[in-house]
Parts: sequence; structure tokens; C-alpha cells
Amino acid sequence: MKNNSPRQLISQTPLAILLWVIFLVGFVPGISGASTVQAAEGTGVETRIAPVGRVQVEGQPIVEVEVTAADAAETELIAAPRPSRKDYPNIGVSSRAVVWILAQMHLFFGALVLAVPLFVLVIELTGMITGDDRYDDMAHEFMKISLVGFSLTAIIGGSLALALFMLYPDFMAYMMRVFGAQWLVYAGLFFLESFFLYTYYYGWNAFRYGNKKWLHLTLGLMLNASGMTIMVLANSWATFMMAPSGVNEVGAVVGNIWEVMKGPLWNPINLHRFIANIAFGGAVVGAYAAFKFLSTRDPALRAHYDWMGYTSNFIAILAFLPLPFAGYWLMAEIYAYSQQMGITAMGGILAWLFIVQAVLIGTILLAGNFYLWSGMSRTEGSVRYQWLIKYIAATLVICFLIWVTPHTLILSAREIAALGGSHHHILGPLGIMPAKNIAVNLMLIATFLSFQIYRRSDKVATVSWAPAGNALIVAIYVVAVANIIFAGVYYGYFTNTLYKVGSSVIQVVSTLVVIITGIVIDSLIFKNAKTLPSHWGRIPDRAQYALFALPIAFTWLMGLMGYVRSSVKTHWHVYTVMKDNSPDNFIPTIGYAGNMITIVTVLFLLMVLFMFWVANLGSTRQPEASADGGATV
Amino acid sequence: MNQETKMGPAATLVATVIAFVVVVAVFYGLDHFVMSIQGLPLNADLTPAG
Repeated sequence: MKNNSPRQLISQTPLAILLWVIFLVGFVPGISGASTVQAAEGTGVETRIAPVGRVQVEGQPIVEVEVTAADAAETELIAAPRPSRKDYPNIGVSSRAVVWILAQMHLFFGALVLAVPLFVLVIELTGMITGDDRYDDMAHEFMKISLVGFSLTAIIGGSLALALFMLYPDFMAYMMRVFGAQWLVYAGLFFLESFFLYTYYYGWNAFRYGNKKWLHLTLGLMLNASGMTIMVLANSWATFMMAPSGVNEVGAVVGNIWEVMKGPLWNPINLHRFIANIAFGGAVVGAYAAFKFLSTRDPALRAHYDWMGYTSNFIAILAFLPLPFAGYWLMAEIYAYSQQMGITAMGGILAWLFIVQAVLIGTILLAGNFYLWSGMSRTEGSVRYQWLIKYIAATLVICFLIWVTPHTLILSAREIAALGGSHHHILGPLGIMPAKNIAVNLMLIATFLSFQIYRRSDKVATVSWAPAGNALIVAIYVVAVANIIFAGVYYGYFTNTLYKVGSSVIQVVSTLVVIITGIVIDSLIFKNAKTLPSHWGRIPDRAQYALFALPIAFTWLMGLMGYVRSSVKTHWHVYTVMKDNSPDNFIPTIGYAGNMITIVTVLFLLMVLFMFWVANLGSTRQPEASADGGATV
Repeated sequence: MNQETKMGPAATLVATVIAFVVVVAVFYGLDHFVMSIQGLPLNADLTPAG
């Protein structure tokens, strides 16, 4: 393998530089556009979240729009359509159910194929820096798995578009008018993404070493740039429907495309989906590695797929750790935009779904931790840390039980009398947010501790100050946990609401301090550390089932929270500006939604199995038939 | 497989005590800072000052 310094390679690759410039000029401003505009305005939260077009809130007087004669002459303002029931085609089955399934499937596959190239690029770069071809091979195999996913995403996306135009023609006509030429940009990006996808995948071995590797990495970067731009454009449609901006109170477009896109929920959704996609993508390819691990007895292949499974789990859980914080920001922005919308999500009919969410997240964390603990058997050095596992497990289980404790129960009169009220006198306090905030943060810290001891298992520190560094880490863990419990209990139960909400930031910051300082101090302690041998492939088979549990829980969780996000609009296509008058203009019951989410999850997992099968098919060769009809090898 | 350390037990104990004192002080300051930037000042004993 030829090696050149990165600086030398960059300077010798004009095409690579050109592509980098295109990326920096074209993509970065696109992503950061909203925040740049917001920063330039230099306004507070209330101004920033206020839609450009004023929104009429039900029960409040209509705000008069001041349109000058010049404005009126310049722009013809067309209000949003007001379709009646007969304007919605009746195809004999629920239109919403059809669109629900297609949209959710498109989102699942879209998340997968946008996420995989992100970490593939990082793994490929790691391989180039370390000179270890195993990284390169693993990255290539990850891409091979997701390649079929691109076709499935496009097919389902096309079907979704057709279904929307057929079943919701007025709504789609309105969206076309609001977003205008952005749709063409969106379509154009697909061509760009396809170009980079195929050149990136099929050029893997052609551009493998030396200067050409930089060209290949640049292709990967451009693939991600076009993919991420597609994602943020599509996100703007969803957030426009939830919190419209750039339109007036009757839905007429009064702002430019940036003002339409930069709604208050756009960036929170962008961040949340970006992180969640990576976690989801890691979980799905982890299942592939587990499937391959279990289906072979070849020690070399088992070692390879064990390493691949570990890497996938690492990606999934590491991306998952900050996800609750991104979700918290999204919900805070939803509350800031419309308290009614926030209460519908977390205090009304949908509130119970957050208990189901807790069960799913608990499943993900327990499975992820179990896999890490099982993986510690790969190295003898893990015996130093195994005593900690039972305490981590106890913390996870106790916190999980607190998180799933509901605040209100559906009770009969007799049960209420037996209970002495609608809330249990001991468990009742565990049903509210302060207790759950403590539980979530402690679960995240416990999971990070599992990561940390796993990473330490095959290393022996050689720096003289290692005991002092360890003491510092222990102190940070102990004080952070005490701080999280103190903030949750004291401000959550004994002060006013403002301090209760504000204290959750203390908890988040404490958790982040543990994670960041843990990584930094460990990297310093284990600099030039003695490395103990790791035996890849030496892991119990049962650990692989944890890798199967992760994508199932992630998929169901994404379906569930997608239902919540979409339902908070209640009976509006576009919140407060275009009413939904179709027969399905109500929030479906939780039982019905549960069935729908399960159907979509099963469908997706079946298609993922198909994807794995096709990926496997490419490397399978039928033995040549011999003259007597038997196979020759 | 133990850490190859040059610190004795006494030095490790001192380091641990210092680490705890420093970390407690940092988190105490962090609580004040995080709450104050949200417009929620605290008293010295961490009770709400607002």
C-alpha cells in the first residue's frame, strides 16, 4: 500500500479540491442557512419562532394582514385551499392508512441509506489513516448492504408521491405552490446522489490507494452532502405542516423559500433525525453482522463479523446517547411554538405513548449494554472490571422501572377507592418528569460506563499519574450522579415549575460532563498503554440476539414517535392554515396506531431480510455441475 | 495486568481527596452558571433566589 502524507495528497489532487470547494460553497450554507439568517436577525426566541406569516389561533380574533397596494400588485396572494369531504377521493380503504404505511416505509429506508454512508466514510477514513485494510473492507461491506436500500427507498418514495397526489390532491397542490421550485431542486439532488453513490460504491477498488483514495473519500463526502441536503429539504415539508412560516393566516405565501423553510421546528428536526438516522443505521447493519456471525463456523469469518457487529453496536449506542437531548430540544421548541401542541403530545391522548417509548428505549439500552458485557469476554483484561457489571445492571433496571411508571392510571371506581385516589401514594411521584429525568440521565451514564470499561478491558495504563486520573474519573461519576439526583428531587418536587424545568438542564450538562471528561481523561491515561490481546469471535452466540433486538426496537420506536409527531397537528393538514376535511381528520386511537406501527415494522424488517439476502447473493457462486449431475467444487 | 503505577497509597489517597474537592467545586459552579443563564438565579446554598 502506497502512503503519502495527507497534505501532499490533497495538493496533488485538483479534482478532489474542486469537489471539496463545491461542497463548501454549495452544501454548508445550505445546511446552516436557517441559523445564519436567524443569527443575522439577532432576535430573541419569541421573535425567532414567530412565523413570517401570522398564524390564526383558534378562539382568538383574526389578525388583519397589512398588504400594501404595491405588494398586492407585485404578488398575487392565493389562500390555502379549503377542500370539502367530496374533494378527497374514496378508494375503499383508509387513505391515511395507505399514506401512513408508504410514508413510514420511505422514512425507514431513507434513514438507513442516509446514515450508512455517513459512518462508512468515517470508517474508510480511519482505514486510510491507520493503514489497516480491514477498516476499508468493512466499510465496503456496509455499503454493499445498503445499496439495495437505495432502490427500495426510491421505489417506495415514488409510490408515496403518487398516493399523495391521488388521495390528497388539494393539499399537494398547495404544497407545490408553497415550495415551488424547491421540488425541482429536490429531484435534481437525486440525480446527484445517484451519481456519487454509484461512483463511490463501484469505484471502491479502482480508487483504493494513494492519491486516488482521496478522490474516493471525496466522492463519499459528496454522496453524504447530497444525501443530507435531500433530508433537510424533506424535513422542511414536515415542519412546515407542523409550524408553518412564510405564509399569512389564510395560508397565502408572503415570504420567500428560505422563510418558508426556516420554521421554528426545522433545525430541531434536522438535528434529531440526523442523530437518530445514524443510530438506526448502525443497528440495522449490526443485525446483518449478527446474522452472518451465526451462519458461519469459519473462525476467520466469525472474527470478522464479530468485529463488524461490535462496530455497528458502537455506532448505534454512541449516536443514541445524545438523542434524548435532541428530542428534548425538539419538544421545547414545540412547546415554545404552541403550548396547545406540546400539551397534546405530552399531556393529552398521546402522553401514554411516552411510556411505551420508555419501554422501547429501555430495551435498546439493556440490549446494547448486554452486548458490551458479553463482548468483554474477548479479552482477559476484562476481569478487572467485571465486578462493576452487576451494579450497572441494577441501575439500568431500577431506572427503567421508574421511567415506565405512569402518572395516571385508567381505573374503575372500585380500584380508585382501594388505591385511596387516582395516584398511588408511593409510586405516584415516580410518574412525573423529575423522576423520569433522573432515570434517563442515570441510564445514559450507566451505558457510558459500560462503554468505558469495555474500552479499558484490553489496555494497561503506563503513565505514572494513572491512579490520580482514575480518582478524578470516579469523583466525576459520583458527584455527577449526586448532582442529577439532587437537581431532580429538590428542584423537581420542592420548588416552582420554572426551577423544575430549568433544573433538567443541570442534569443534561452533568451527563455530558461525565461523557466528555470520561473520553478525554481515558485517552490521556491510555496514551502509549500496553495492549492486551483481543480474541475477535470469542463471544457467546446469545450476544448476537441483542444485535437483532436493537433494529426491531429502533424501528418500532421510530414508527411510534413518527405517529406522535404527525398527530400533534390534530385536524390540520398544515397547522392553523389548512384544515383536513378528509374522513380521517382525527387522531387515531392508540390501539389502532399500535397495530399500524407493528404492520409497518414487520414489513420493513421483512424487506431488510430481503436486502441482506440480496447482499449475500452477490458473493455466492453456484458450483459448476459435473457430467453426472452432481456438483463439482 | 494491574496498572504500572509510580504513585503510592498515600499519594493516591491525597489525589482522591483533591479530586473530589475540585469536582464538587466545579459542579457547584456549573449549577449556578446553568441556572443563571436561564434567568433562574440561585442562592449560595443552591435554593432559588428568584
